[in-house]
Amino acid sequence: MVQYNFKKITVVPAGKDFIDIILSRTQRQTPTVVHKGYAISRLRQFYMRKVKYTQQNFHEKLSTIIDEFPRLDDIHPFYGDLLHVLYNKDHYKLALGQINTARNLIGKISKDYVKLLKYGDSLYRCKTLKVAALGRMCTVIKRVSPSLAYLEQVRQHMARLPSIDPNTRTILICGYPNVGKSSFINKITRADVDVQPYAFTTKSLFVGHTDYKYLRYQVIDTPGILDRPFEDRNIIEMCSITALAHLRAAILFFLDISGSCGYSIAQQAALFHSIKSLFMNKPLIIICNKTDLQPFENLSEEDMKLVMEMKAEAMKTVIGQGGEAIDEEGVLLKMSALIEDGVIAVKNAACERLLNQRVELKMKSKKINDCLNRFHVAMPKPRDDKERPAFIPEAVLEARAKEAAEKEKRKLEKDLEDENGGAGVYSASLKKHYILANEEWKEDIMPEILDGHNVYDFVDPDILQRLEELEQEEGLRQEEEADDVDMDGEELTPEEKEALAEIRRKKSFLIQQHRIKKSTAESRPTVPRKFDKDKKFTTERMGRQLSALGLDPSLAIERARGRSLSRKGRKRERSLARGGSDGDDAMDMDVDQPSSKKLRMRSRSRSRSRSRPPGEVVPGQGFKDSAQKVKAIKLVRKSQKVRNKDARRGDADRTIPTLKPKHLFSGKRSLGKTSRR
Amino acid sequence: PQGDYIELHRKRHGYRLDHHERKRKRDAREVHKRSAMAQKALGIKGKMFAKKRYAEKALMKKTLAMHEESSTRRKVEDEAHEGAVPAYLLDREATTRAKVLSNTVKQKRKEKAGKWDVPLPKVRPVAEDEMFKVLRSGKRKTKQWKRMVTKVTFVGPSFTRKPPKYERFIRPSGLRFTKAHVTHPELKCTFNLEIIGVKKNPNGPTYTSLGVITKGTIIEVNVSELGLVTPAGKVVWGKYAQVTNNPENDGCINAVLLV
Repeated sequence: MVQYNFKKITVVPAGKDFIDIILSRTQRQTPTVVHKGYAISRLRQFYMRKVKYTQQNFHEKLSTIIDEFPRLDDIHPFYGDLLHVLYNKDHYKLALGQINTARNLIGKISKDYVKLLKYGDSLYRCKTLKVAALGRMCTVIKRVSPSLAYLEQVRQHMARLPSIDPNTRTILICGYPNVGKSSFINKITRADVDVQPYAFTTKSLFVGHTDYKYLRYQVIDTPGILDRPFEDRNIIEMCSITALAHLRAAILFFLDISGSCGYSIAQQAALFHSIKSLFMNKPLIIICNKTDLQPFENLSEEDMKLVMEMKAEAMKTVIGQGGEAIDEEGVLLKMSALIEDGVIAVKNAACERLLNQRVELKMKSKKINDCLNRFHVAMPKPRDDKERPAFIPEAVLEARAKEAAEKEKRKLEKDLEDENGGAGVYSASLKKHYILANEEWKEDIMPEILDGHNVYDFVDPDILQRLEELEQEEGLRQEEEADDVDMDGEELTPEEKEALAEIRRKKSFLIQQHRIKKSTAESRPTVPRKFDKDKKFTTERMGRQLSALGLDPSLAIERARGRSLSRKGRKRERSLARGGSDGDDAMDMDVDQPSSKKLRMRSRSRSRSRSRPPGEVVPGQGFKDSAQKVKAIKLVRKSQKVRNKDARRGDADRTIPTLKPKHLFSGKRSLGKTSRR
Repeated sequence: PQGDYIELHRKRHGYRLDHHERKRKRDAREVHKRSAMAQKALGIKGKMFAKKRYAEKALMKKTLAMHEESSTRRKVEDEAHEGAVPAYLLDREATTRAKVLSNTVKQKRKEKAGKWDVPLPKVRPVAEDEMFKVLRSGKRKTKQWKRMVTKVTFVGPSFTRKPPKYERFIRPSGLRFTKAHVTHPELKCTFNLEIIGVKKNPNGPTYTSLGVITKGTIIEVNVSELGLVTPAGKVVWGKYAQVTNNPENDGCINAVLLV
């Protein structure tokens, strides 16, 4: 038998998506380029490959669907019936059958078109044949898409079904809606079933697990059943009926004796009698629930009679099983799920009955004999008639007796808590049993953090002893050190101290400089390139070039020299030469050689830099008022900023410092080609 | 988790505190994501997406227009259709004057012109070298009198080949079809009907005799499954149909029934 795992069925794609997936896979995984001039066999092979590849993919995917969905006849009849109830066996089979036909049709299409492709004599013909083939396969899938949608829904629902093992120990809970079945299962297992006051809160089967005598039991909660003829039952009730019919389990029939579920005991008894045929050969226990609302003893006469009838029925099942005289209490139990009274008793009774029944069945079956042959408890053969019971020393017996007595007498913390007001009111003193050197320290508050450190890191019971040891060690070490050759140079001389300070200062200065150098472009001042680094532009060169052209360079040289103002002690030749150049107007400027200081004071740069307030209007400059001048200055500065940041010497400086900056000529593009930069 | 555990959790704990906020923001982001995808998707994916999106937009525009229609008022169209007769003339039979020619004259004219009332009156002529492929035979492969048909053929159920040595025209079995997809022009539905025979191939009588089916060929199909009956009461089981596609390119024969 194939093993099915309902939770591991692969997703069934919708029709359109299915087609998209397969076609795009064909496009990606097969070669895509073909030209008219290729050999005809190559063309044919190219297109045949595509058709075959598509068919193979369809086949694969459809086969996984068909194989992974369970066949209703191959699985346990409980699941088969459950799936029939939920999804309608016919519809399910039809859907899978349609998928199967689709798979075969696609195979046939592919075969036919590959055969036809062999006769293709041109690229166009082969291409149209391939298009027709793929198109037909996709139409097949499109026609089948409703089945695919249905199967996807079925798969989603199937994955959420509870995983019930039909062969293991199971306890089944059934009864009218709202009697307290889900509350019961919430109490004994960890299943978190929704409990609400309206009927049919539980709409499907739920599973919980509980333990008894080191064995695991499945507890199955069913939706409530109403008393109706079999044909009228809806899907939800049919789930419970299926579970009752197919699972070999102990059945707990829940009875609401208070009537708060909305149905009287008479109705519930009627239901019991109508489904008692399903209780054949199964240990049955009748549970009277909600005893907190209506104690069992206060039931009316008719109700008590009905309950006793049901109990008689249940007793019949007991006697029918093993013939053992089970006490009457094992068949009819009372409990209340709300106040948790009797819940454990019910669980134990149910588990016990089930276990006994299963063991008995196993003993009766043939298979056990094979096992029994292998069991053999060896008893030693009695040598003589002397009795040799187990020997237990006196002291142990006494201790046992004392312990038993103590256990009864000993007061538990829980009792203490109950006495003093219950869980919320009383908080146990956890420090009661501390073992300390001094009894009075028990209730002391111990700090945990002191000065930012954990106290426990520093606490040690042997701390005094360790301190002593450490001090001893320290003393030893110091003596050893004193024995060593005494070192000088531990102490610094004053000169050395000074040198050290000097070194430190210099180091910090270097660090500062480095920081400044490392500063960003925005804060760093930009200095233009140095003009004439190599000192090529000299007056001699100018003179040579001019004389090469045939001009007299001397005047030009003098003028150039004269314009460089930062020279001290200019001789009179300069003014004379200037006068000479005029020719007619030989004005003999016989001025005294002005002192260098005066020269400096009169120099052009000095005149320009004489401090004035920024907005002051100087008459010759052409500004209307101070505001205009300020604005003009601002405009000038703004226009100069960009240029200065670029480290250009002036407006006309068009040099490009780096002709091929790296950041413009390297790097890849994430989308597109890099044919333009 | 079993049963409807998601709904159960929602019922018990409600939504995350920021659930609605996150949902709202996520839905708002979908718009941007979709537009980014539309702009960045390249190749076949981009084309398919564009096509799908175009269809969506056209539909959206239509619904919007429809919603806006109700707010405007329009003139009710109340024109009388052609040939509508006022009520006081209803009982009289008005004859529309038309040229009535006798059927025989019409038929004679058609026969002279060579045109018949078929869905495809003119088809592209198929050349012989397109129709036949030359097969070389003989010991030295020099004889070239054999021809293989490269188009779809129909041979009939009782067909047996001539002995291969004497066979001049080879009709490969891979290209033999027996069924055609025939559309009824008025019912507009298509049936898969068996071919009874090839009536006429417009490219020439040789092809008709060979049974070659190309576009425009008239074939006879078995229409017994349509259940047509003559006025006399006899069951019609064969009708003519004209082929409307190139069967060698599509792998199937599509035809239109001639009623």
